[in-house]
This record gives sequence, structure tokens and C-alpha cells, in this order.
Amino acid sequence: MADFFGIPVSELNVWLIWILPFAAAMIIPAVGKFSKLSTGRVAVAFALMSAISAATLFPMALEAHEIHHQVMWIDAIGLKAGVLADPLSIIMANVVGWISFLIMVYSTGYMKGDKDITRFWFWMMFFIGSMQLIILSDNLLQVFFGWEGVGLASYALISFWYRDKKKDHVGQEGRSALGVMEYFSPTHAGMKAFIMTKVGDVMMLSGMLLLFLFAGTFGFKELVSDTAWAVEMSAQGLLVPAFVLLFGGAMGKSAQFPLNEWLLEAMTGPTAVSALIHAATMVKAGVFLVARIGPIVFALAAAGILADQFFEIIAWVGAITALLLATQGMVNPEIKKVLAYSTGSQIGYMMLALGVAGLSQHYVDGYTAGFFHLISHAMFKASLFMAAGSLLHVVGSRFMTDMGGLKKQMKKTYAFMWAAGLGLMGAPFITTGFWSKDAIFAAVYEADSSWALPLFLIAVLTAVITAFYTTRMIGMVFFGKNSKHIEKMESEGNHIHEAPRSMWIPYGILAVLTIGIGLIGLSAEEGIHHLFGEYLEHSFGIYVSHEAASTEFLGGLNPVALGASLVAFATGFGLGYIFYIGRWVDPAKFVNSNIFFYSMHKLFLNRWYLNAFVYWGFVVAPLWMARGIWRYFERTAIDTGMNIGFEKAVGWSARVVQGTQTGVSQSYLYIFGAGLLFVVLILLL
Amino acid sequence: MEFVLLQAVFLPLLLSPVAYLIGRNYGPTYATWFTFGLLLYCSVILINAALGGTYEEHYPWTTMFGEFGFMLDGLATPFAIIIYVLCTVLALYSKPYMVHKFEELFKEHYHQNATTDGQTTAVVESVALQTYVNRQSGLYFAMFLVFAMGMLGTVLSTNLIEFYIFFEVMLIPSFFLVAFYGDGNRRRIALQFLFWTHVGAVVLLLGFLAIGLSVGSFDFVDINEAAIDPDILVVSAVAIILGLGVKLAAFVFHVWLPYAHGAAPTPISALLSPAMIGIGAYGLFRLIVEFMPQTYGDISIMLNIWGVVTMFYGGAMALMQDDFKRMLAYSSISQMGYLLFAIGSFSTYGLAGAEMMYVSHGLGKGLLFMTAGVIIVQVGTRSFSKLGGLASKMPITAVCAVIGALTIMGIPPTSGFMGEWMVFYGALETAIEEGNDLRSLMFALGLIATALTMSYILWMLKRVFFGKLPENLQNVKDGSWYMLAPMMVLAGFTIVVGIYPDIFLGHIMPYMEGVMGG
Repeated sequence: MADFFGIPVSELNVWLIWILPFAAAMIIPAVGKFSKLSTGRVAVAFALMSAISAATLFPMALEAHEIHHQVMWIDAIGLKAGVLADPLSIIMANVVGWISFLIMVYSTGYMKGDKDITRFWFWMMFFIGSMQLIILSDNLLQVFFGWEGVGLASYALISFWYRDKKKDHVGQEGRSALGVMEYFSPTHAGMKAFIMTKVGDVMMLSGMLLLFLFAGTFGFKELVSDTAWAVEMSAQGLLVPAFVLLFGGAMGKSAQFPLNEWLLEAMTGPTAVSALIHAATMVKAGVFLVARIGPIVFALAAAGILADQFFEIIAWVGAITALLLATQGMVNPEIKKVLAYSTGSQIGYMMLALGVAGLSQHYVDGYTAGFFHLISHAMFKASLFMAAGSLLHVVGSRFMTDMGGLKKQMKKTYAFMWAAGLGLMGAPFITTGFWSKDAIFAAVYEADSSWALPLFLIAVLTAVITAFYTTRMIGMVFFGKNSKHIEKMESEGNHIHEAPRSMWIPYGILAVLTIGIGLIGLSAEEGIHHLFGEYLEHSFGIYVSHEAASTEFLGGLNPVALGASLVAFATGFGLGYIFYIGRWVDPAKFVNSNIFFYSMHKLFLNRWYLNAFVYWGFVVAPLWMARGIWRYFERTAIDTGMNIGFEKAVGWSARVVQGTQTGVSQSYLYIFGAGLLFVVLILLL
Repeated sequence: MEFVLLQAVFLPLLLSPVAYLIGRNYGPTYATWFTFGLLLYCSVILINAALGGTYEEHYPWTTMFGEFGFMLDGLATPFAIIIYVLCTVLALYSKPYMVHKFEELFKEHYHQNATTDGQTTAVVESVALQTYVNRQSGLYFAMFLVFAMGMLGTVLSTNLIEFYIFFEVMLIPSFFLVAFYGDGNRRRIALQFLFWTHVGAVVLLLGFLAIGLSVGSFDFVDINEAAIDPDILVVSAVAIILGLGVKLAAFVFHVWLPYAHGAAPTPISALLSPAMIGIGAYGLFRLIVEFMPQTYGDISIMLNIWGVVTMFYGGAMALMQDDFKRMLAYSSISQMGYLLFAIGSFSTYGLAGAEMMYVSHGLGKGLLFMTAGVIIVQVGTRSFSKLGGLASKMPITAVCAVIGALTIMGIPPTSGFMGEWMVFYGALETAIEEGNDLRSLMFALGLIATALTMSYILWMLKRVFFGKLPENLQNVKDGSWYMLAPMMVLAGFTIVVGIYPDIFLGHIMPYMEGVMGG
């Protein structure tokens, strides 16, 4: 059998990576009719098969080869569907595939006994399939299918517990900022996520359409091979807007400022979903999109078309998001929300790296840094989320203040959370997080842009805060004494125990990997650097000068960046230790000790009032306007004016006509006579 | 096969008395299956005829008006298929809904005329009920068939007068259906519906007469812009657009729609809303875009703006509704705004997208109205404030409603997205090519309107299916298969079209290219 529906067998696995999860989603409802337990097995099996299909492509990626295969899709307008497996998409597909697989295994434990389990698996597989579709598509229209697919799946999964029970809400009850409640039900959160990301999607759609208008294609390869479109667009001043609009889609999906507010409420979903959204699918889609289109834009420089503003915007959006969300992560009492803030902030780092890449001569440096951080973040964040899920599962509360002192009761989770947490903090030399963050620092520092220094400072400050809030989280959960909540549980006979094996093994694996790959981090990074160097040269003609290493010493490291990351880690960790592990100073007293700290704390806790602004501007005000139109136009002018008005007018004119029907012969005769006179006069004149 | 389209159009009319007799003598079940079978047969021959590309039939008519013809071309095919597919599945859907409605009406009727002697027994009452339901179901299905025939005839016509006749024919059964079986103040609302749409139709007729007398023929083949007296051209174009604007329920002319669609029995709402009012868009395509390309080019920007206004207006009003069906009615207004916007885009893709929008609106809004119907039958209320958390009680309805909602929101893989991106691409294309800032602004506003659409649709889903289940709804069950199976068919169809739009685009694109290129 040489081919299968026109697809060569050797290339079939590229298609299978995304088709398998969708196929699983299709059969799961049927399986669920017979046995709810089997749905999980089907899902895990298909997730594994999809991951294996991705793995089979790995050797090809190492050789910087690629598969590009197309079939006819919409014949009427000559659009083709296709897959593009190049090093970028193959590595990404593997990261997503394998982490998703681990999360699926974890879910079998986490979601055990849920009566809507079939729906859960359906949407999880749909989610993974959509994400893989984004990764492997060779054109933007197909990407958009996956793009909306992950939006839809996230909507369904965030509001998975659609009965809106109190325990599934996020936020503190009764808490509000500027009159906007910051306490959300799952269905509200799902809607918010879907609509907010849709705003980004709309931007992306218009960017896509602009490209299609000039290039006549949605295909990535076609966009690279013939750049006449770019000349034309740039002449009309539409090149940068079009790509910035595309980036708008990435901003929505990756929760970048100012479309970041949905991400926190997304925590109403089951924790496995949060892990999937934050580590493998959804928010990474935005970064991936930027990694997809970034080289296309950068390669235009060879044709003399510069799009620096595009990269500057990406870098600044990333930097602002990184700092903004990290500050909020410092003060939040809910463990999942701290992790959510952290995700947004870390994604900001990736965007920053991909942005500054375009501002530098060595595109590949920033590109590698951003992508390497994506990989390491995927590992430690998935691990942290799953561990947090275990905590929630065991303790039954989302608040860290309800935990505390758990290091003895949950030893494995404790150890793994440290390992993954160190990755997030960027603990020197042993974690992937350190190497990838350091690479980002170096790329930012070395960028040929006047913005390099402020961006660098923001990045370092964010790193300090990151180390601080991670330490705070671990300190609050595992150190100190057990909280009253736990004591109450214990006294009621619910003993705190380690999570089941199906749950801790997946996050254990990822935590170990964070350290394991971290130990060989530098060579891993160099490997990716080399690979992407070749890839960018082959596919986009972005030439990498091998003198790039000239400014580096200490084994290819930038001394300033290295020093900065060491200092950042030490400062953040040290402060965190003082407050939350050593517990030498009471943080509450410290915050209340002076007005500055107090107001900052309040600002961060109220999310910089951004959420309140979003609600006032885009929910309250439009509804108020709609109500105004409804009351004072639709109900009055249209309903009363046109309906009743016409009716009255007809009635009135009927009465007028009726009035002439007097029935008195004399008046008829008079009128007849007048008429006759009138006609005669006209005839005479 | 001979006389295919003649059969497809006139069999329902000719056999409608049979449907009445069957209903009267054997009850609603037989009448349902008879109607379903008949419409299924007609749909199959229609689709079969459409497969071979453009297909025409001509029959002699009066010398005064010209020929009586039917034509399935790239424009008419998707309209015709959607109309008959919807009619076919809704025939099945009608059974439980209408029986429920007849019983309600019977009670109303019975209590009004109840004699106070207390002699009537339960047995007499149930016999009376049975007779009543049978008679009414016969009448209902007979009118249903005529309604279907009127809509199909309109989109297949090849002659202005023929078009007008069918255009008015579909009004008559729909008037009676609302007046007999509607909710609330149904007679008044039916009259209002008849009044407004009839006035629109008469204005349309004025335009037709002006064109026909100027050209000297009412046949579509003879009509071309050059042959029309330039003085008359503008007047007739305005008359046609206003006349069809009433049908489309575009902003300001939408007065009748929320009432009529809210009050009509749900299967009829599901036909009125997506299938019937969209015929206004068909008219715009055929009469303005195809026959008067020059005038179309001049006025397209106005249609574009009118569309955006209608989109926002309908969407904003939909947000304010508490009644399920009224909210859907306003949503239809908003969706017709999309169609107007797209027709005003003056580009091949935009026009093709408009037709895809009609297809997906037919499927999506059909699904949502059917959802409302299931809820009316099973729960007994249509007020959002009394609903909630129904997803656990009626899962299949909920899934179909979500798919319908996605179609309206334009989320892939439903057909809605295929319409939406083409529409916006078309609008953008013209805006950039003409360098027209106003058009660019309309493009941007149109995209913002999609977020509005999304908001009201998601809010509707949340208020009906999610959240806490009210105490009194604990025992609600999913609808009968008569209702669910048709919904599942439409839900499947919208996804198939969304993934493989060539089914319709293959017909639409060549036609639109011909129109815009010519």
C-alpha cells in the first residue's frame, strides 16, 4: 500500500498526530454509552498514539528535514489543506503530545468518579487535537480552525462544572474592585475566556485576510517562497499592521496584556484542564504562532523590508505582561491563581524573547531562547499544576491559607514541587528554567535596539519577583504549621495522605525532567540553537553568522545575563525564605507597616484594576447603552411609533373620511356642484 | 427526469388537501409522516437535479407576463436546498410541538365555551380533544406544505411576476399559521405581520412593474440594466430594495419581525426566521446584483452601512430580551444585517460568503429555534429568568443548541465560519482596493459586531443550560425523538458544511464570479 487516501504512508503519521485525538473525541461519546471507565482508557491510548506519531518524526527534525504535504480542500476557491512538519512543529508537537499524554494519565486519577467524565474526555481530546492542528497546519486558515477549536475546548472545559457550585468558583467571595465583583462562577469564567480570546481571534482573522488579499495564499511556505506580496503591502503601509493584527490573536490566546484577564478565571476548570491549558495547549498556541510568523517577517529584511515595529510591539507586550502578572502573583492567596499569574508572566518572557530576536542581527538567539523557555516552562508548569491539583484534591480548598505544613504528610508532592518550583525560579545551573531564562536575558541584553536596556531591567525585575512568589507558594503550602482547615479535616477523620500513584507519577516525571535536562541544560540549549540555526537558514534564508559567540565566555554565556540571573534568583529566593519558609517576619504586618507597601499590595490584589476597567468598559457600558436603546428607541419610536402610530393614523384618516359621509343629500349636492365648477374652470383655462 | 422542479414546487400544493384529509381522519402521526415523506421526496429530486449543475425548466404561460419557468442555478441551489431540508426535518419536528400546542389551544377554547351545567364527562372531553387535534393537525400540515411550496417557488422563479406571486403565496399560509396557532395576541400579530410584509411586497411589485414595462418583458432572461429607462432604473431599484428590506427585516423595517417570530408556533418560527426572511437576500442577489450591476456598484456602500447598523441594532436588542424566541428573533435581525453587509461588500468572496451565511443561518438559527421549541414543550416556559442548568436534564438538546450557537457565532468547524471569513474578506478586499476608509471602518465595525453576537449567544446558553437548576425543573426530560432527530440532522449538516464547504461553494463561486466578472 503505497498511499492512503492520497497520502503516502511515510507521511501519514504527520496527519495522524492531529487526526488521532479528534478521532478519539468522536468515538468517546459512543464508548461512554457502554462504559464510562473505558472512556479514560480510550483517551489515554489515543493520546499516547498521537504522541508516538510525533516521536517518529523526531529523527527527521534533527536532520532539519521537513515534510510538506497537501490535499485539495475547498476546490471552489482553490484552497488546500496540508501539514507542515519542520523542526519547529515537530519539536512543538512532541512537547505537546507527551505532556498532554502525562496529563491524561493524571486525569484518570484526578477525575475519577466524576459523573460527566465522558464529556471531560471528549473535550480534552478535542483540545489536544485542535492544538496539534495549529502546530502542524501549513496554512493560516487551517490554523484558525485549530485556533477556534482550542478556544471552544477551553470554553467547554473552564465551565466544565457548569452547575456553578460554590466550591468550583474562583476568587474570594464578596471581594470586589471598583464595584466589579472578583468572584467568578465556572460558566461566567468560560464565557469570559471565550469572548476575550475571540477579541484576539477577530484581530487575527483580519490580519489573515489582509495577508490573503495581497499574497493570495494562506500557506506559510508560499508566503516565504514569493515575497512580492510583502513589497506591495509594505508600500501601502499595511505590512506591519497585518502582522500586528495576527499577533493580536496570539495576545488573546496567550493572555498577553491587555487581553490577559481571562486567564485567572480559567482556573475554575478542573486542575487537569488548567495544566493542559497552561503547559501544552491554548496559551502556548500564541507563542507558537509568533514563532511561526516571526521568521517570515524577519526574512523579509533580506528583501529590504524592515518590520522593526512588529518585533518591538511583541517585545514590549511580552515585557509588560511578564511584570504585570508577576506582581499580582506575589499577593494572591489561591494556589492555582498564583500559578496562572506565573504562566502569563512566563509567556511574557517567551514573547519578549521572540520579539527581541527580530531586533537583533542574530535572530536565532532570541528565537532559540524563547522556544527553549517554552519547552522548559511546559515541563515545570505542567508539573506544578498537577501537583497543585493533588493538593486541592487532598485538602479540598483552593486557598494556600488552608494548607500549610504539608511537607510531612505529602512527601512526594513536596519534593516534586520543589524541583519544578526551582525550575520556575530559575535555580542556577541545575534547572531547565535557569538556562532558558538566562538565554532570554542574554538575547534581550544583546539586542541592537535602544529598548534593550529597559526591557532587560524589566526582565530581571520579573525574575526576582518570580523567585519570590514561587518560594512564597511553597512556603505557604508546605512549611509552618498545619492550618485550622487541615486540623479540622484531621479531627473529622479525613487523614491527609499522598495522592494516588496515577497522579504523582506524571508530575514526578516532569519534575525529574526539569532537573535532569537542567543538568545538561547548556548543551541542550546549544543543540536547539544549532538546529534552529539550520532550520532558519534552510527554510527562510536567515543566515546565521557563526561569529555570534564572540562576546560570550564561560561556555557560551553572557556574563551580564548570567550575573543578573544569579542575583535575581538569590534576591527573590532570599526574600521569600525570610517571609514564608523561615517565617522570621510576618508578611501581613510587614505589608501594613507603611502606606507604600499597603497600597502596592492593594493594587496587586485588585489586579491593577484592569479587570474592573474591562468590565466597566466592555460589559457594563455596552449593556447600559443597549438598555437605553431598548427603552427609548425600540420600545418607543419603533414599537409605539411605527406600530401604534400607523394604526392610529389609519384609524384617524378613516374617521376623517367617515366624517364626509354625512348622509345629508344637500351637502353631497354642494360638493358635487363645487367639483363640477372646478372641472369646468380647469377646462376653460 | 421530466418536470422535476414542477413536481418539487407543485406537489406540496396539490397534495395539501390530502394532508388535511389524512390529518382529519387518521390523526397527526399519519399527517406528519405523509408531509415528511412528500417533502423528503421533493427534496431528493431537487437535490438530484441540482447535482448536475444549472438546471432549468420552462412552461408556457400568458403572453402578457412571459414564461413560467424554474431555474436551479448557482444562486438558487443553496437557497432551495436549505429551504426544503429545513421544511422536511421540521415536518417531523412539528408533530410533538403542534400536538402540545393543539392541546393548549383546546383547553383555552374549551374553557371559553365551557357550559356551566357540569354534565361533560372526561370521556366526552377526550373524544372532543382527539377530534380537535386531528382536525387542527390536518389544517396545520396542509398550510405547512403550501408555505414550503411558496418559499421554494420564489427562489426558483424565472419571471418577475412569477416571483411576485410566489412571494405573496408564502405569506398567506404563514399568516394563518400565526393567526391560528401562535402565542399571545396572535391574531393581531399575524395581521401586523401580514400588513408589513404585504406592504413591502407591493412596493416590490411597483419596482417589478416599472422594470417589466420599461423592458417590455417580465422574463429574467430579457432583463438587463441597459434596457431599462435610466429614469426608472433608480426608482425601481429603490422600490425593490425597500420592498426586500421589509422582508429582510433590516433596521427600521424590522418592526414586525420580533412579534411575528416570537408568536409563531416554533416550527414555523424556525422556517420564518432563517428560511423566509433570507429570501429577501435572495431577491437582492437576483434583482439588484445580477440584473443591475451598475446600480449595485453605486449603492453597495449604503447596503454595507445599513448592514452594519442592523447587525449592531439586532445584537444589542437581543441582549435585552428575556423571552427565548424574541431573543432569537432579534438575533435573526442581526444576522440579516450580516447578509446585507456582505451583499454590500461588492466583491465575489463577499457575495459568496453572504450566501454561505444564509446557509449557515438557516441551519444554526433553525437549531436554536428548535431548541426553544423543545424547551417550551418540555419545560413550559420561554423566559430565561425561569430557566437554567438544563444541560444535565436534556443533554442532546443542549449539544444541538451549542452546535447551533457555534454556527451563529461563526466558530469552526461549523458552516458559520465559512460564511463569516468570506464575508469579511470580501468587505476588506473592496475596502483596500478602493482605498475607501468608510468601507474599512465598516469592516472593523462588522468584526466588532461578531463579538456582540458571541456575547448574546453565549449568555443565552448560560442562562438556559448552565448554572443552577431551579427547584421546579428537577423532573424535566429531554424531548421526544421526533424533535431530537431533526435537530441532530441539522447539527451534523452544519459541521459537514463547515469542514467541506465545497458542497455549496462549488455552486456558489462560479455564479458569483460570473456576476461580478460580467
